Amino acid sequence: MRWLPILALLAAGALLFAATATNPAGPRPDLTILQPVDVNTLDPQRMSWTHDFRIAYAIYEGLCRWESHSPNFPVVPAAARTWEISPNGLTYTFHLDERARWSNGEPVRAQDFIYSWKRALMPETAADYTKLFFLIAGAEDFFGWRTEQLERYTARPAGEKSAESAAALRREADAHFATSVGLAAPDDRTLRIDLVRPTPYFLDLMAFGAFLPVHPPTVEAWVDVDAQTGAIRQAHGWTKPPHIVTSGPLTIDRWVFKRELDLRPNPHYRDPSLIKSGRIRTLIVEDQNTSVLAYESGAADWHADVQVDYIGDMLAQQRAGEREDLHDFTAFGTYFWSFNCKEHLADGRRNPFADRRVRRAFSLAVNKQELVERVRRSGERVADSLIPRGSIPGFEPARGLPFDPQRARAELQDAGLADRDNDGFLINQARRRFPTVEILYTPVGPHRDLAIAIAAMWERELGVRTRLAVRETKVFRNSVKTQDYMVARGSWFGDYLDPTTFLDIHRTGDGNNDRAVSDPHYDELLARAERESDPDSRMRILEEAARYADEDLVPVLPIFHYNQYYLFKPPADAQGSPNPGGLRGISTHPRLVQYLYELEVVRVPDEEP
Amino acid sequence: MMRLIARRLAQIPLILLAIYTVTFLLAWALPGSAVLNDEGRQPPQAVLEAMEAQYNLRSPGTFFVDYLYHASGVKWATESLKGDAGRPSRYIFDLGPSFRYEDWSVNELIGASLPVSVALGALAVTFALAIGLTAGIIGALRPGSLIDTATLGLALIGISLPAFVVGTILLITFPVWLGIGRIGAWGGPGDAILPALTLSLPMAAYIARLTRMGMIEVMTSDYVRTARAKGLPARTVVLKHALKNAFLPVLSYLGPASAAALTGSFVVEKVFNVPGLGRHFVDAVRNKDLFVIMGVTLAFSTILVLLNLLVDVLYAWVDPRIEQE
Repeated sequence: MRWLPILALLAAGALLFAATATNPAGPRPDLTILQPVDVNTLDPQRMSWTHDFRIAYAIYEGLCRWESHSPNFPVVPAAARTWEISPNGLTYTFHLDERARWSNGEPVRAQDFIYSWKRALMPETAADYTKLFFLIAGAEDFFGWRTEQLERYTARPAGEKSAESAAALRREADAHFATSVGLAAPDDRTLRIDLVRPTPYFLDLMAFGAFLPVHPPTVEAWVDVDAQTGAIRQAHGWTKPPHIVTSGPLTIDRWVFKRELDLRPNPHYRDPSLIKSGRIRTLIVEDQNTSVLAYESGAADWHADVQVDYIGDMLAQQRAGEREDLHDFTAFGTYFWSFNCKEHLADGRRNPFADRRVRRAFSLAVNKQELVERVRRSGERVADSLIPRGSIPGFEPARGLPFDPQRARAELQDAGLADRDNDGFLINQARRRFPTVEILYTPVGPHRDLAIAIAAMWERELGVRTRLAVRETKVFRNSVKTQDYMVARGSWFGDYLDPTTFLDIHRTGDGNNDRAVSDPHYDELLARAERESDPDSRMRILEEAARYADEDLVPVLPIFHYNQYYLFKPPADAQGSPNPGGLRGISTHPRLVQYLYELEVVRVPDEEP
Repeated sequence: MMRLIARRLAQIPLILLAIYTVTFLLAWALPGSAVLNDEGRQPPQAVLEAMEAQYNLRSPGTFFVDYLYHASGVKWATESLKGDAGRPSRYIFDLGPSFRYEDWSVNELIGASLPVSVALGALAVTFALAIGLTAGIIGALRPGSLIDTATLGLALIGISLPAFVVGTILLITFPVWLGIGRIGAWGGPGDAILPALTLSLPMAAYIARLTRMGMIEVMTSDYVRTARAKGLPARTVVLKHALKNAFLPVLSYLGPASAAALTGSFVVEKVFNVPGLGRHFVDAVRNKDLFVIMGVTLAFSTILVLLNLLVDVLYAWVDPRIEQE
């Protein structure tokens, strides 16, 4: 009797446990993927993370897609079967595949794309990629117009606000969009897009995640217009099954937040022959160590993002031929340190890094090879340039600044800085010491070790004093955004196959220009590239801009190009692979776009399913 | 008894309001922006401003009142009374959206994770009681014996070793080496045993020591000697007479312990990938996800307050003198 309460507690716990089961045991799907984070959203217009896009590419179908296994990463037809580009490069006309269907059986219409892209151009949607849509004629003006329209409405006296007037406001915006933005659907299967300027990479964007379509009636069922602000308020219940309607090869079967996301084939997909794996399970295991253990225990076929501290040891095993399931691929991104380029620091002092000679000197004094091989030790490629070499066809990145302490000191001398009194410290002509260099980073990740090593190099080679400053991510983000730093860690990943996806971050006034670098010559080069209609000449101008940024302007000090680490057994037919079974179809292109439905687990009969 | 319960229930809204206010002040004081992305691309300035306006991020007063209005159920109540046109509120206690996990509301996050934490906590407390009481009683019956020393030593290890060490050792031993159980899964039979065990060990150790101390003291008391003298079997004496008194300190420890089993499970949740509430606490603060911070804290405090009430009631039931005080 005395144990009754304990038994009751046990029973209650067991019952609750059974009720909260998120990973029930059952037959194994075609493909099981492990990743450390769940998708943030399944709304393509609001996405910005690689793992979000990975699911999006499986469940939504854009006008185009990439041939992800070709070295040049070409654009091929998807929902659009054919297209024409006007001779001046300003008008694109897409013809939709008449077999393209939403997962509820309805045809995919040209208007669905217009609806989706209009969402991205509404400020209240909070789309991270709004700026990409500004390539469409009239889009940027519409965005500004809508922002103002909402401000005017909000400022109205309370008596003039109502559900009706807010709805009228939305109708007005829709009408304005229809007449002012260069998007038109002459019929259900034709989409005409007018651009502000010829854009050689526009087709690449048509395959990019932010341009994927959503199903308008489904989204509309969760939309309200706020009577107080006139803004469109979107609830996101529609992204969850059973509500979600998708157009890609697969659709969402089950989504248990931060646990599991299950995909199944879209029964109405236009070309079922493309689907190699139909039932796909993504397991979310947030703890990196646990996720590697889970992979080791056979819980998944593919670990899509390995970030353990002991990755260096795993790589050593791989190099020694003891671990053939670890794969490292160069990604489309670069790790760097930013120099604050503003005249003055946040506290009002003169900023020594406003002088590009100083920035060059500090770059020349860093031995990147040593950082990558002896500090980072994860097998990444040293970055000479912001743009990974070989990632963009037809574009040759600059050689960048080498490790050359002598030249570094010469640059400083040129800037009036030298160790005049031979005490080992740098002073200027007024005999004032070079200010202590504050190096800012965040606590999680490789930053601390790299900061210590870089600081030591600067102290040794240049005779400056340094101070390490660590701030939490949120605080760090604010500091960087407001240029409240001297040197700070940073990174950038490209989104589309064109150098501007990297080069734009150094443009004057760009929203991602955390360095506040502003150089008329650089801006002019980018503007010239925009005006240039010949793609080859345009690339040469962009190469010149990249060289200018990497070797002359130097707002950032690139250290390495990111690697992506996967764990999977190599396919059975790969050369030298001893595995009878394995995962086939992983793309190794630096953009690392994996179309999940194209992946295929080869199983051997005696292997346990 | 009813008076005690009624009085405590009446205090709950006040306690929650105080917790809400303190949480709000702390969350608001968190540095950084709630709408900026931590890494990579930032949306245009107009978008950031629109988001700040939508969620009252520029006016703390409005935020405080507006959130309370939604979360306390007042909004739902007024709407239901008025029979307002338009879309009805989806929740009685609307805890808001998550900034970081844009497709989910705080209610959905809590709805999915709170039962998990409770289940894990309940199992852990059960394990702790079973292990702790057994070890404590055995030790108390033969103080200084080998078995007593062994349990005390184990208890010391249980208290000292951090959960991520115990958890990792268990994970490597059972699923990886012995092939028993799954890693990072929740829902199959046995998935809960290793995390519950890890979570229960420090508690079990503490309970063992409390029980042992209580029992040793009680076993020498007059009424136990009387019970023995009148010829009751040792089993009855220990389990019926002695344990009831020796259990009191354990019971008062159980309140905060159950709370710890729910809150303190963050590390265990992480190591075993348990979809519980603990991670939302930590992630929300890291992301400055204001609505999640407020919502999770409120939901959690409510449970804590109720748990404490339950322990008080149990205490009064076990020892009627308490109620009179």
